[in-house]
Amino acid sequence: MFQKILIANRGEIALRIQRACRELGIPSVAVHSTADADAMHVRLADESVCIGPPPAKDSYLNIPAILSAALVTGAEAIHPGYGFLAENPRFAEMVEAHGLTFIGPSPAHIRMMGDKIAAKEAMAKLGVPLVPGSNGAVLDIARARDVATQIGYPVVIKASAGGGGRGMKVAQTAASLEEAFGIARTEARAAFGNDAVYMEKYLDHPRHIELQVMADGHGKVVHFGERDCSLQRRHQKLLEEAGSPALSAGARDKLGATATAALTKLGYRNAGTLEFLYQDGQFAFIEMNTRLQVEHPVTEMVCGIDLVREQIRIAAGAELDYTQRQISFSGHAIECRITAEDPTTFVPTPGRVTAFHAPGGLGVRIDSALYAGYFVPPYYDSLVAKLIVHAPTRADAISRLRRALDEFAIVGIQTTIPLHQRIVEDPEFQRGEYTIHWLERFVAAN
Amino acid sequence: MTRIPFDPDAIRALAAVLNETGLTEIEIAEKDSRIRVVRGGASPALAAVAAPALAPPVVISPGPSPEEDTPPGAVLSPMVGVAYLAPEPGALPFITVGQSVTAGQTLLLIEAMKTFNQIKAPKSGTVTRIMVTNSTPVEYGEVLLILE
Repeated sequence: MFQKILIANRGEIALRIQRACRELGIPSVAVHSTADADAMHVRLADESVCIGPPPAKDSYLNIPAILSAALVTGAEAIHPGYGFLAENPRFAEMVEAHGLTFIGPSPAHIRMMGDKIAAKEAMAKLGVPLVPGSNGAVLDIARARDVATQIGYPVVIKASAGGGGRGMKVAQTAASLEEAFGIARTEARAAFGNDAVYMEKYLDHPRHIELQVMADGHGKVVHFGERDCSLQRRHQKLLEEAGSPALSAGARDKLGATATAALTKLGYRNAGTLEFLYQDGQFAFIEMNTRLQVEHPVTEMVCGIDLVREQIRIAAGAELDYTQRQISFSGHAIECRITAEDPTTFVPTPGRVTAFHAPGGLGVRIDSALYAGYFVPPYYDSLVAKLIVHAPTRADAISRLRRALDEFAIVGIQTTIPLHQRIVEDPEFQRGEYTIHWLERFVAAN
Repeated sequence: MTRIPFDPDAIRALAAVLNETGLTEIEIAEKDSRIRVVRGGASPALAAVAAPALAPPVVISPGPSPEEDTPPGAVLSPMVGVAYLAPEPGALPFITVGQSVTAGQTLLLIEAMKTFNQIKAPKSGTVTRIMVTNSTPVEYGEVLLILE
C-alpha cells in the first residue's frame, strides 16, 4: 500500500480524498494555491505544499509544480480528484514517468475517452448502444447533410474534443444545418484547438442516466448502479439521484451487464462512469468519464461502499474482493450541489462565510470544505457544498432532503439552497417526472 | 490662575512616614482634598482610560497573501523545489549574510525535476537574513532571504 499520497485538487473533493487516505492510515500531502492557504483540507493536512498563485493555470493545472511537490515530499501516488488534471492523459503519463502511481485509469484509456469520436467507436465495437449518428468525424457540409437525412432532424453537431455539454450546436431543420455546422466547427477550434466534429440525432426528451463502474485491472469489472443526473442547467448538474426514478432494477441490471462486459474486453482499470441518454425505454451512450465524479456520494450511500478507498486500493494493486452479485442496492439517495451563487440570477458570490451550520441526523451527509470564517475565493468553480440524503424510499429521501435543506445555514454568501428548496416542492420533481430540459424550464418559470 | 491650596507641612510629615515605614506610596483623601506621596523613582504610568475602541470593520480580503505576513525586502520562492545555496556541493555559497548584491545577481538555486533554476536578486541591496538551509525543500511563496 502507498506510504504517502499527494492530492492534486482542492475544496470538498480534496477533503474527501484526504478522509479516505486517513481511514486507510496513509499520510497525504495537500497542495494549494496561495488563495487556498486557509482551506480546510490544508488545515487538516499531514503535510501541505504551496504550489503557486491563485490562478488555476499557475497552481492546480501547473504540472511541474505538482510533480515537484510530489518529489520533494516523497509521495508515491497522486489522486487527481475531478476536474483540473483528472482527465489529462499527459499528466497521467508524466506521473508514471516519474515513478509515481496515478490513481485512476491508464493514460491510454483517458486519452481514448477524451476523444469523443474514438470513445463512441470503441463502445460501438464493444456492443454498447449509441445515439444514432455519424459514426466518425463529419468533415464537410455535404457529409453533414447526408448524415442528417439518414438519421433525421433535429440533429446535434458536437466537438470531438469537447464533452461535459460543451461544444454542441443543434440544427432543428435542414435550413439551419449549414450555419450550425459552421459555427460548431469555429467554436470547437477556438475552445479546444481542434475543429473535428461529429453528429448525433438530437433527443428532445431524454433523461441523463449514468452508470458507475469499477475495474480492478486484474480482469474483474463491477458496476455500482445508475445515477439520474437529468436536472441540469447549462449542462451543469444540480441535483442527482441514485437510483433513477425511471429505471427498474431489471433495466439497471441489463445496462450494467452490457457496460461491464464492454469494459472487461477493453481492459479498463479503476473508476469510470458511462453516460447515457435514456428516451422511450432506449439507452444511448454519449460519453465516458475516466475519473471519480462529483456525484459519487449518492452511489456510496445506496451501495454502502467507499469509492475513493476502492480507487486507492486498486491503484495499489489490490483486487476487488467482491463480485457483482454481492453488491446490493439499498434505499434511495439524493444529492444537491450547493454553489456560491445567487439562487435566481446565478451570479457567483465569493466572500466570507460568517456563520455555518450543517444539517445532521439519520441519513444526512455533507461533503463540504466550508467553515465559519472561511473566505470563498473567486478563482475557482462555485461548488461549496454537497448535501446528500439517504432513506429507504424516494419519498422518504425527499422528506429528509426538505428537512435538511431547511436546517442548512450558510451566512455571508449567497447559495443555491433556496433553489433546491423550491425544486423539492415541485410536484413533477416529486413524481420523478423530469428530463434534461426540465430544470431550465423550471428556472425560467420561477 | 487658581490657587491650589496645599499644606507643605502635611506633605513633609507624610514623606517622613514613608521613610520610617519603608512604604512606597501614601495617599490621604478627605472630602475633595487628596494628597499622594510617592517614594522617588519612576511612578507607574497611569493607564489611560481610553474610550472603548470600535471593532475594526471586517475587511473582506482575498485571503492571505505573502505580502501581508512577510517583511519588506523578502525574496519569495517562485516555485516548488529544493533550494541549494552553492553552485555545486563543496563550492562557496552564492551569498553570505551581510553581503551586498546587485540586481540580477544569482542568490541561490532551486531545483525542480532535475532542472536547476537560478533565483536572481530583484534589486540591489544587502542580504540581511538567509531563511533557508542548503538542500531543503521550498514551496511557492516561501521566504528565501531578506534583501534590504
